[in-house]
Amino acid sequence: MGEEIKMELNIFHMYPNLLNLYGDGGNVLCLQRRCEWRGINTNIIDFTLNQEQDLSEGDLFFIGGGSDRSQNIVYPHILKYKNQMENLIEDDAVVLAICGGYQFLGESYIDADGNQLPGLGLFDYYTQSEEGRLIGNIITENQLKLKPQTLVGFENHGGRTYHDFKPLGVVKKGYGNNGKDGKEGMVYKNCIGTYLHGPLLPKNPHLADYLILKALTRKYGVKDLAALDDKLEYSAHEKVMKLYSK
Amino acid sequence: MEITGAVLVGKLTVIGLKSVGLGATALPGKMAIKIDPNLLSVVDQRCKKKIIITGTNGKTTTTNLIHHILSSQYKNVLSNLKGANMEQGIASAFINDTKKEYDWGVFEVDEGSFQAVVKHIKPDFVVITNFFRDQLDRYGEIENTSAVIYEAIKPLDTTLILNADDPMVAKFKELHKKCVYYGVEENELSSKNQRIVESRFCPICSHELDYEYFNYGQLGKYHCNNCGFQNPDYDYIFTNIRAGPDGNLCDIDSRGEIFKDIHFNYGGIYNAYNCLAALTSCLEAGMDASKAIERTENFEYHLGRMEVMEFPDKTVKITLSKNPIGLSEVLKSITLDKRKKALLFILNDNPADGRDISWIWDADLDNLHQIENMKYICCSGRRAEDIALRVKYTNISPDLIKINDKMRKSIENVLKEDVEIVYILPTYTAVFQARDIILSHLKNRSSFLLNIKELVEKLKT
Repeated sequence: MGEEIKMELNIFHMYPNLLNLYGDGGNVLCLQRRCEWRGINTNIIDFTLNQEQDLSEGDLFFIGGGSDRSQNIVYPHILKYKNQMENLIEDDAVVLAICGGYQFLGESYIDADGNQLPGLGLFDYYTQSEEGRLIGNIITENQLKLKPQTLVGFENHGGRTYHDFKPLGVVKKGYGNNGKDGKEGMVYKNCIGTYLHGPLLPKNPHLADYLILKALTRKYGVKDLAALDDKLEYSAHEKVMKLYSK
Repeated sequence: MEITGAVLVGKLTVIGLKSVGLGATALPGKMAIKIDPNLLSVVDQRCKKKIIITGTNGKTTTTNLIHHILSSQYKNVLSNLKGANMEQGIASAFINDTKKEYDWGVFEVDEGSFQAVVKHIKPDFVVITNFFRDQLDRYGEIENTSAVIYEAIKPLDTTLILNADDPMVAKFKELHKKCVYYGVEENELSSKNQRIVESRFCPICSHELDYEYFNYGQLGKYHCNNCGFQNPDYDYIFTNIRAGPDGNLCDIDSRGEIFKDIHFNYGGIYNAYNCLAALTSCLEAGMDASKAIERTENFEYHLGRMEVMEFPDKTVKITLSKNPIGLSEVLKSITLDKRKKALLFILNDNPADGRDISWIWDADLDNLHQIENMKYICCSGRRAEDIALRVKYTNISPDLIKINDKMRKSIENVLKEDVEIVYILPTYTAVFQARDIILSHLKNRSSFLLNIKELVEKLKT
């Protein structure tokens, strides 16, 4: 590839004014900075209600969680984009969906009263509200073969998600998808769903770079990324391990 | 009578705590409530009139200021001034004081405890400051928080003092209680856009709200094009605001009556709201206006939540910063200060701080770039690395960032810096410890300088 070509990623931040709980917007900032620091251009597209936009321009999609009210507002709008999302995922676009966003990709959410709230139905999993919230620092071992092996974050969810997809991580400390089967998150092609807040990416730069590289590989055929000085990132990662691995 | 037993146990707990070198906290109240769950009803009976202050930010400042103002006219005012704001905190305040009768009870009540407290304490006034995201792992979402308070107010015979500029608070007018509204006019710190708005949607019909301006967070001039919901008419409004790093100067327009040039010693627009919430409450409570204003102007804080300490060579300012809006606004107010400075963040993740520290990513830290003459940004506390990382991702030069997760050492270091002012921004559990550490340095430093002076004098003779 010629030196003169400046690489560029379109990062879609889905419904940032509605799905914006627990600092998850920090993931978008993290992706943006880590591209910029390598001289890769980024366009952050805030995708939300009252706008009809072609998602096919997107290289990377971020979907956070929102309150029940917010998710209800989002649902009818995002439903119009279901097919496009499906095609994008099959076509190896990079998607990171967290907590409510992760649940949203599945078939349904069954609330405490047994009501079934529909999800996008991109994957055939469901989430069930069960007694007690699963809250706390969480440490998993990633199944993407990334080094270091651990992922750290904070989880806070009442819903339990059940599925047979490949998990993002195996729980070492904390609860994960449902507090029972030891799995955390899901991976399908370049689509990742997870319960990890923190936010996830700043303290797990190996995962951030994995997503960036996947997007660049798909768009430009790039095979590797320039290294960054991640001393501070890993010292924050290590701090969670030190405080919460026992 | 059981009351005596409960209060006695509480008092003994205070003595016990003091004897082991711990100040009285909420623990005595906790012990007393265990023995008599109705202790707060006794508090209710002993206070002739009561004000409850709730909401996310500004409760402690507003409560302290109301207490300070009312105390100039009333001899007996009972208040939980130190920010211990659950049932046991109120009980502790009572146990420490135990009078037969109070003219006023002024109580700060945590959003999560409101429902339980008003089962016993029947307030004449309820002040609601604002609803922001705070410690989500404890309370759930802000909509739930405000809904619980809304339901708890329904059966009460009370006057609501509401922040008209927060749609989440103005919604309480739907309760059809007597309402008094306060707000702050557009000013130089207002903006047309706000990055972190927590609830841009109409609390009545969920349609997106239109904003003429934002004062901070979702506080501002709003209108719903769908259902017509908008700021209610103000009974008290701050106008002609002249903001400075050491406080705000403003006029009050109270239903056409103007009070000019009121100075409040604490800067930031959030403090203008706190100040007006307190003044509104006291004027509605029947205080004389000129007296109330005089007390507002001479109000000083000694709690570490907002405190200034003068060292011989520098000023140290501590400001509790515990949630996104709070931290963003504190940084915005620092941009007005041109002095050579250092910043010290202290980020803890103890249960009382909220164990989830992700909120620092919801705060607007880009204001760091607008702060002039910044020599260092020091990061400390249990999660020092996390706040340092947050700062790094604003693209602040890494050379400016120093990390030390030991709070004592980091305070020691920052006090040695060659700067005119040090801003210390701790989370809840770090505030009181930080304050004690700084005070001990202040004591040592002054006595050291005194010794030098004496030595110089001796050498002269």
